[in-house]
Amino acid sequence: MSPPLFNFPEARSRFTSSIRDALNNKTIRPLLATFNQLSGSENEKKCTLDQAFRGVLEDEIIIHASSESFLAIISLAINGVTEGICTASTPFVLLGDVLDCLPLDNCDRIFTFVEKNVTTWKSNTFYSAGKNYLLRMCNDLLRRLSKSQNTVFCGRIQLFLARLFPLSEKSGLNLQSQFNLENVTVFNTSEHESTLGQKHIEDKDEGMEGIEEGEMGDDETPTNCSIPIDYNLYRKFWSLQDYFRNPVQCYDKSAWKTFLKYSDEVLAVFKSYKLDDTQASRKKLDELKAGGEHVYFAKFLTSEKLMDLQLSDCNFRRHILLQYLILFQYLKGQVKFKSSNYVLLDEQSLWIEDTTKLVHQLLCETPPVGDRFSKMIEHILNTEENWNAWKNEGCPSFVKERPMDSKPTRVVRKRPAPEDFLGKGNNKKIIMGNDELTRLWNLCPDNMDACKAENREYMPTLEEFFEEAIEQAVPENMVESEYKVVNNSNYGWRALRLLARRSPHFFQPTNQQFRSLPEYLENMVIKLAKELPPPSEEIKTGEDDEEDNDALLKENSESPDVRHQKPVTGEQIESFANKLGEHWKILAPYLEMKDFDIREIESDSEDVHMRAKLLLVAWQDREGPNATPDNLIVALNNARLSDLAESLTNDTENNS
Amino acid sequence: MRFLISFTLFFTSTSIQAMDMQRSLELLHMTVFSQSFSPCGKYLAAGNNYGQIAIFSLSSALSSEAKEESKKPVVMFTAHDSPVYSLVSTDRQLISAGDGEVKAWNWSEIVKKGCKEAWSRRPPSRISLEIPEINCLLLNPKDNSLLLAGGDAQIYVMDMETGAFTNVYRGHKEYVHCLALREQVHECLSGSEDGTVRLWDARTGGQVHAIEVYKYEECCRPQYGKWIGCLATESDWMLCGGGPALTLWHLRSLTPTTIFPIQECQHQVMFYQDLILSAGQNPTINHYQISGDIKAQIPCTSRTIYSMNINDQSQENKVLTAAGNSPRVDVFTNFGYRAFSLMFV
Repeated sequence: MSPPLFNFPEARSRFTSSIRDALNNKTIRPLLATFNQLSGSENEKKCTLDQAFRGVLEDEIIIHASSESFLAIISLAINGVTEGICTASTPFVLLGDVLDCLPLDNCDRIFTFVEKNVTTWKSNTFYSAGKNYLLRMCNDLLRRLSKSQNTVFCGRIQLFLARLFPLSEKSGLNLQSQFNLENVTVFNTSEHESTLGQKHIEDKDEGMEGIEEGEMGDDETPTNCSIPIDYNLYRKFWSLQDYFRNPVQCYDKSAWKTFLKYSDEVLAVFKSYKLDDTQASRKKLDELKAGGEHVYFAKFLTSEKLMDLQLSDCNFRRHILLQYLILFQYLKGQVKFKSSNYVLLDEQSLWIEDTTKLVHQLLCETPPVGDRFSKMIEHILNTEENWNAWKNEGCPSFVKERPMDSKPTRVVRKRPAPEDFLGKGNNKKIIMGNDELTRLWNLCPDNMDACKAENREYMPTLEEFFEEAIEQAVPENMVESEYKVVNNSNYGWRALRLLARRSPHFFQPTNQQFRSLPEYLENMVIKLAKELPPPSEEIKTGEDDEEDNDALLKENSESPDVRHQKPVTGEQIESFANKLGEHWKILAPYLEMKDFDIREIESDSEDVHMRAKLLLVAWQDREGPNATPDNLIVALNNARLSDLAESLTNDTENNS
Repeated sequence: MRFLISFTLFFTSTSIQAMDMQRSLELLHMTVFSQSFSPCGKYLAAGNNYGQIAIFSLSSALSSEAKEESKKPVVMFTAHDSPVYSLVSTDRQLISAGDGEVKAWNWSEIVKKGCKEAWSRRPPSRISLEIPEINCLLLNPKDNSLLLAGGDAQIYVMDMETGAFTNVYRGHKEYVHCLALREQVHECLSGSEDGTVRLWDARTGGQVHAIEVYKYEECCRPQYGKWIGCLATESDWMLCGGGPALTLWHLRSLTPTTIFPIQECQHQVMFYQDLILSAGQNPTINHYQISGDIKAQIPCTSRTIYSMNINDQSQENKVLTAAGNSPRVDVFTNFGYRAFSLMFV
């Protein structure tokens, strides 16, 4: 069965009526129903519906309907596109029609709608069909708007375009770095253009005669009065704008000379004529409070009568000074499209450098908050350098292309275990993904060894650190308790840390109650003093001999060697603990250690040597002066560790 | 070839060159002591240390088509044998003062060549051996009189109608530098080398007060001397400077209220709107707030400024002019910067 012939006028009228229906009911359903009812190919029906939409809109425009009704039609068309019953470009065509036919005031409202729907336009259905329409529409609008009057609207349109198009869109870009040469600043160069100048001629003519007639001062009517004008500065000042408009001139020798002369003069005026903050700042502050008056120059006003006011206007001055900085940035900067013979001479660069400094200084001096403004400008110009560089590189896209091969490998490759790649890379180097990191990582072949290296040992030894404290702790030295280093909280804290790392006493359970840190430290120091090797000169004294003799008398039966009666030293404990090692647990019961103590020692340290040492120290603590090597040897023999006992015997003999 | 031409030129113009040389030397050593604006405000008269008075046309120098030429004097003539220390303008005449003599010139004739003085007077000095200079002239419009002060430490009052000297204020011990008026209370002020500011009753000629400025600790500066170089008044307030620091005085209580932080000695001072302007032995015009802060220091061309004036006669040419030890008279259209300079030739 062939499809029935498509009847365009009928379809159109039916669509028109159902559009009106849909608008009234605020639903697209009648339109959908009509679309399905009608016979004919999809394409034909779509085109007819588009046509019908335009017709309805045209009627609305003719009767000057409100903008809401236009927007309703356009919204309906958007729905139609999403339902697939009209072509994607229809909403844009409709928008274009509306904006073309409306006065600018109403365009504002329509454009608000366009702005709101930016996400719609960016969606897949609309973007490719509509971007050209939107661009054309916006450009048409911009052309109708006044650049100086409708600044806000113009700005909105530009912002909208920026949101609509991706960052890499180049249609709005000044690729060739061209200047807007049309922006000519007109000022009165000869007296004919100036109303004031003409008056001066009259004055001059009658001036001399006036004196001759002796009626000076009388011919002056109050309406004539105005202010004196410095035409010299006026002309030079505004001539400078031409250089800002077209900086390429600066590479011309004579033009540069003039520029130099004029600039020096103008900047000297700025330097001399300081603006005072006092009246301005208070007014500005009020304005800021009132919601921030925003200052905008569409175009410079160049009447000579304004010159005086402009010179005392801080915003105006900032504008001019900023123009200088921008010009200098161009002159100094690398710009791809700058011809190669446009290079600065040395003296020019020097002048520019000096003047940049001067301009920044002047900006700092210009109230309000001049120094902050100057810094901000410097920052902005620095970021501008990035854009210049980007342009010089031919505006590369900001979207980074993912390398094609990276994806499959990423799926396959598993992250290797560190053991797999440690030392197995090229030249045994481990690649850390960053040159600097790789260099640091590979400074040493084995990082673990590097960590253990002796020069990385920053912790002082117990002897070194406690030397002073021990000395002070000896009662013979008679150090007043308040002068002792242990009272220094700083010293105390470091001492505690060191003890925790180096001394087994730190973890020793003790029954003694310490009320303060110095007290505790004092105790510790005394303990350490016992443990550490005594200073050599104290070893041999007469008293010692006497004592020895006494001991000999008392205990001569026990041991032939008197020195065995001396308690074990810390050094001995250290060396013996290493030998004892894993046998400490066997020895423990023979040193009359309780199960509880053994468990504590086990929990304090993992290392068997450390445990052995802890055991011995605990024993030494308990026994006090009775902790002699002999007693230890007895205990060892009892524990059937006779070879250890033997070595200890040898050691003590050697030591003595 | 070029050398030859210049050589011959040299010979033909030797006399001219000698003149030029003489003049350029004169210019090099020129000091402009005094200025006065014409009653119409379009002209400026300036007197220098060679007794010459130059008339500049302000309106043409300020016009839009001003050339270098319009910054040179319209006319120049020698008025005195001595330096022209002071110039004032009445509504018809320019009055100039030199050594021992005061002369008047009609403004209406002044621009013609070969202008003759309208009158001249000599104050009746009691010193016979030397002729005392006249440092300062001041018009007292209330009783149409002219005050003259200078080297003989006396202040003469001359009646402008008759030209007779009607009164003499005696009291200063050294020569008088400057004068000022307090019109409301009919008082005249004078500042002198002897370090005093004296207040005179303008009607009786009697001395009202003598302020010995150098005796006040706040403003005395013995290293610079005690001379009073400049005075200005406004209602109950007086500014004075010179050897002592530039100071604002309250005249009713006769106390110094504000000392301005300027090191150099000041030769000129004036009230201007809510500011105070002064100039002296530094190449700047100094602007101060009443509170005593320096608001701005505007660079000038002369090293030392001896004369500073504001043209109140015509709004259109309302400029500040300053001159000192150079042949240039700086013109400030906007008081914030020097616009250009008028030049003696």
